[in-house]
Amino acid sequence: MNLAAFLFRRLWQMIPTMLGVVLLVFLLFNWVGGDPAYVLAGKMANPDDIANIRHQLGVDRPLWEQLLIFVRQIVTGDFGNSWATREPVSEIFRTRLGPSLVLLVPMLVLETFVAIVVALAVAALRGSVLDRTLMVTSTVMMSISLLIYIIVGQYVFASLLGWFPVKGWSDHLWRNLTTYAVLPILLGLMVSVAPSVRLYRTFILDEVGQDYVRTARAKGLSERRILLVHVLRNAAIPIVTNVLMGLPALLTGAFLLERFFAIPGIGREIIMAVERSDFPIIKAATVYVAMATLLANLLGDLLYRALDPRVHFE
Amino acid sequence: MLGAGAATPEKVLHLELSAAETGFDPVMTSDLNTASIEQQLFESLLTYDYLARPVKLIPRLAAAMPTVTDQGRTWVFGLKRGVYFSPDPVFKGQKREVTAQDVVYTLMRFMDPKNRSPYKFLVEGRIMGLDELGEAARSIGHFNYDAKIPGLEVLDRYTLKIRLKTTDYNFSHAMAQPMYGIVAREVIEGYAGDTASHPVGTGPYRLARWTRSSLMVLERNPNFRHEIWDFDPGSDPESQRIVAQMRGKTIPQIDRVEIQVIEESQSAWLSFGKGELDMIGLAGQFAPIALHGARLKPALAQRGIRLDRISDPSIAYYFINQQDPQLGGMSKERIALRRAIFMAQNDEEMIRVIHKGQAVRNAYPIPEGVAGADPGYRSLLDFNPGEANLLLDRMGYAKGADGYRRQPDGSPLAVRYTSSLSSQDRELDEMMKKALDRLSIRFESEKLKFPEILKAERQCRVQIRLSAWIADYPDGDNFMQLWYGPHTHENNGSCYQDPVWDRLYEKSLTMPDSPERDAIYHQLARLLELNGVTKVSTTHIRNVLFQPWVIGFKAHPILPSVWSLLDIDVNRVPQP
Amino acid sequence: MSAMTPEPSAGLWTLAWRRLQRDRVGMTALIVVGCYLLVVLLALMGWVATDWTREVGVNYAPPVFMADDQDETAQPSRVEQGPSGPIPLYGLQDPLAAELAAIRARHPGAQVFTEAPRRLSLPLGGDKWGHDVLTKVIKGSETSILVGLVAAVLATLLGTVMGAVAGYFGRWMDDALNWLYGVFTAIPYLLLVFAIAAVLQQKGVVTLVLILGLTGWTGVFRLVRAEYLKHKTREYVLAAGAMGASHARRMFIHILPNTSHVILVQLSQNVVGFIKSEVILSFLGFGVPVDVVSWGSMLNEAQNELILGKWWQLAAAGVAMAILVTAFSMLTDALRDALDPKLRY
Repeated sequence: MNLAAFLFRRLWQMIPTMLGVVLLVFLLFNWVGGDPAYVLAGKMANPDDIANIRHQLGVDRPLWEQLLIFVRQIVTGDFGNSWATREPVSEIFRTRLGPSLVLLVPMLVLETFVAIVVALAVAALRGSVLDRTLMVTSTVMMSISLLIYIIVGQYVFASLLGWFPVKGWSDHLWRNLTTYAVLPILLGLMVSVAPSVRLYRTFILDEVGQDYVRTARAKGLSERRILLVHVLRNAAIPIVTNVLMGLPALLTGAFLLERFFAIPGIGREIIMAVERSDFPIIKAATVYVAMATLLANLLGDLLYRALDPRVHFE
Repeated sequence: MLGAGAATPEKVLHLELSAAETGFDPVMTSDLNTASIEQQLFESLLTYDYLARPVKLIPRLAAAMPTVTDQGRTWVFGLKRGVYFSPDPVFKGQKREVTAQDVVYTLMRFMDPKNRSPYKFLVEGRIMGLDELGEAARSIGHFNYDAKIPGLEVLDRYTLKIRLKTTDYNFSHAMAQPMYGIVAREVIEGYAGDTASHPVGTGPYRLARWTRSSLMVLERNPNFRHEIWDFDPGSDPESQRIVAQMRGKTIPQIDRVEIQVIEESQSAWLSFGKGELDMIGLAGQFAPIALHGARLKPALAQRGIRLDRISDPSIAYYFINQQDPQLGGMSKERIALRRAIFMAQNDEEMIRVIHKGQAVRNAYPIPEGVAGADPGYRSLLDFNPGEANLLLDRMGYAKGADGYRRQPDGSPLAVRYTSSLSSQDRELDEMMKKALDRLSIRFESEKLKFPEILKAERQCRVQIRLSAWIADYPDGDNFMQLWYGPHTHENNGSCYQDPVWDRLYEKSLTMPDSPERDAIYHQLARLLELNGVTKVSTTHIRNVLFQPWVIGFKAHPILPSVWSLLDIDVNRVPQP
Repeated sequence: MSAMTPEPSAGLWTLAWRRLQRDRVGMTALIVVGCYLLVVLLALMGWVATDWTREVGVNYAPPVFMADDQDETAQPSRVEQGPSGPIPLYGLQDPLAAELAAIRARHPGAQVFTEAPRRLSLPLGGDKWGHDVLTKVIKGSETSILVGLVAAVLATLLGTVMGAVAGYFGRWMDDALNWLYGVFTAIPYLLLVFAIAAVLQQKGVVTLVLILGLTGWTGVFRLVRAEYLKHKTREYVLAAGAMGASHARRMFIHILPNTSHVILVQLSQNVVGFIKSEVILSFLGFGVPVDVVSWGSMLNEAQNELILGKWWQLAAAGVAMAILVTAFSMLTDALRDALDPKLRY
């Protein structure tokens, strides 16, 4: 089967999944997601005001009509305005995505780099004391809650030692990267590196057992060359796929870091939206992240198939 | 932080907000965080004197205090001349002066259903002809801003006559709210749909940069009129010191105000400690780091950090839903049960453990600093678990085999306490559980998001809750209305509908602040206790800490922000 | 479990056990986890930490090794009670006047409410109320571990049954369940949690277990489905079918034991994951109610205590949790090695 047909089939398969996501989110939040009218109406609102607000938000319409509106919003990509702040939802995502990425991309890159280096070292020395020590260390590291890392890390490194600013964000990419994002990134790494090390170690060990490695050894190639060139090249495939597929989930998962370090990112915005029952943002976030997840999966698959000659489009 | 080539360094004030702002169209604002910024961008007709205590109204955009005639029904406001809006492309390069017509437009906006204004209650039902315009807008779909109504009459370019439907001595307070800051029609219409991000007012500052829910930068409004800092200190030595430092300076002294949203209180506190913030409202749970009782800890005082504390014009009060099938009703048993529940609340422990001493016991519905307050008021419902238990025993709430009390008719009894998901509310859950444990009453917890709590409360579905109210304006009525029968489904969360009480309250409405009104207020407060409707528990203390280089700060109970009245001693600001 | 395990695969478990015994790290981890489970059992039986709600120490009682570090808010409640003079009624009638008069006649005089004396220091310190942190950690272990275990069993059960059905029957069943899997994995975890929490409404430990269980089944589903796809065409399954074994029998009596190592490892991974998730859920306000204590609720409470200098609750809960999670993860690794010797990791 050729690439175009494969792509077409996969994209086609996404439609029912997206429909499921849309339906589920719509039902869950419309049914039980809260009624923001009471907050928006202020401290002294009367039932007339509530009715007026509900009417303006459109939550007094029949469910099927609201669902249709939701579907139309997805198709047009226009989710209207936030109920709490009246900011266009598209604007919210456009402006909050940047800070999230400034935090996440370096984190992901560093995480992958560190994890590969450690995993290679561990794999080269497997069974040794170093291997065991590193594995135990990484297990301990990932056993501590991110909440503790943040609370203690912010207190010790930003406040007591004063190595970093306690919080903050600017409009300048470089300043953010070199000043404000450093501590959050490092703290995030504390919990995220260890699982990657463990996973990549298995990828690498998988490759080490393959025939081509034995062949290479027989040809007299140095152990280092085998590991760094041959093994790594092949292990890179699952690693890259893994990184790619993990990205969308990270986008919402960094809310703890964003809140404590006052970074205006997506995760924090979503928590805020849920607290305010700001349905347009919740809907849009779900749809966007779901789409990103599906596309990332597809991209991962494509990459996997493109790089690994053993897998064919089917 | 030096401006390029500038001889004098720029004065910058760094501040925090504990929750994100919502947007800067005053008519749509409901939260104090946003209002604190709007206070600097927009100007209302009146405002409060910075130093006078008890607080006193003074003119802001008005040239003088209004002339009130016709028993508080006719108000004539004269405007200052030569007041200009901050520059905006909408004005096409022209300087745009504020006129009486702008005031009319601003007031009309509150009744426009499209704006769904949270603060319209301050004018609703008051101005002749205005509510009718709002009604009409609902039926025809748009608000007629060109209509002439008897309540809002422009006498000349700078003079406005407002006619009220009934006597209302609190109308002047409404005109001092930051939400009632004057806007220009062409700006609102020019940015229709996006007014929240185009604040154009006459205040000392304008919004220079805005990263939503993260950072707001205010800079001087170049069109701000020449105004001189001049307040009377009275006898307070701290105020006298401030006056000595500030009198005669032009407003504003500070060039830029940078406000950052910091939701986690640990982050805010650590930032202040490092000097990244110039001022901070000390969160109650952190009081022990900074304060020793009412005083600053020596370590901070040595760094020159200063503290100003005032009693917040607010109350925290328990209420029980009077229409609840299990707790409501006026039978003796139910009244006794409710009063017993209130008497089991240990306010002293709440102040000490949860508020870390930064609150005071206040049993009266009107807090200190608000007209009608009575700090000497003694409650019938003070902590007294012994008597509460005896009362329950006597009323037939016998304990079952499981050790918990049952209703007099033998059916099971459990009290459901409603609170939000925040960690502060988790501590309050603990307080309520301890209280009910003291009475051997089964405790149930209902955790809801804040919007859901409001909804449940408005629908009279809450059983018991600890709620809070902060003064919109410093008059007792703003508090007493919380139990008015017709306000059920609005903000009378106790759903208390008692003809005796309502009659008394309505009588109080026709009176200005006076001993006669106070007498009625005392009866109202006592009735709430006797009938087991509410227990007023505590009043918070607001602690503001500021760095040594901040000059002229004094906490104000009502004004949401006073930044334009401050100064910074640039020589003391640490250089990076 | 043993009832469902047919004779031939008993060898697998014996072999695995022998391999595990040779793994020193694995055995250490097993012992540590065993100790925790013992504590849970003891707490469950009501033999330890039953009185964690008692306020035995002063507020923020320091640990014994730093007993001098007393908090200034630490004083037992002492409140004057009863009227010290008549309170004016402003001309109103007290509906309970008769009852109160009768009570006061029988119990005359003002009462003073005093609490039992409290200890100035506690083994691992006290929290803001004066609860013993050591007792709380023990009781919290019970909650956190049970929540983790039960939720993991729930998630694994859901994932296994759905994975088995999807993999075994294939076709539209597979499509439908795969679709569900796709939907659940596409929705951001955070929003899924909020949504499910909103649906469940009911507060309490059960909600927490359901949130974790209903969001955590997808990993198990994927692996079990893959296993069933592989196994359903194997000879032993076909043979069982030929001998008249029902679908259910083939799925759960024949194939299940051969996938049990995958399931066990997943179960163990889920326990670890859920114990950690409980902390975050507590932070978001979806944790245990106030009459229950868990590690998550402790960490959340202790969040602001570190900069007050009251670090002991944060440390106690954090360390207790880190040790268990580390041991459990290592046990999971050891189990995987032991159960599937073909794997080199």
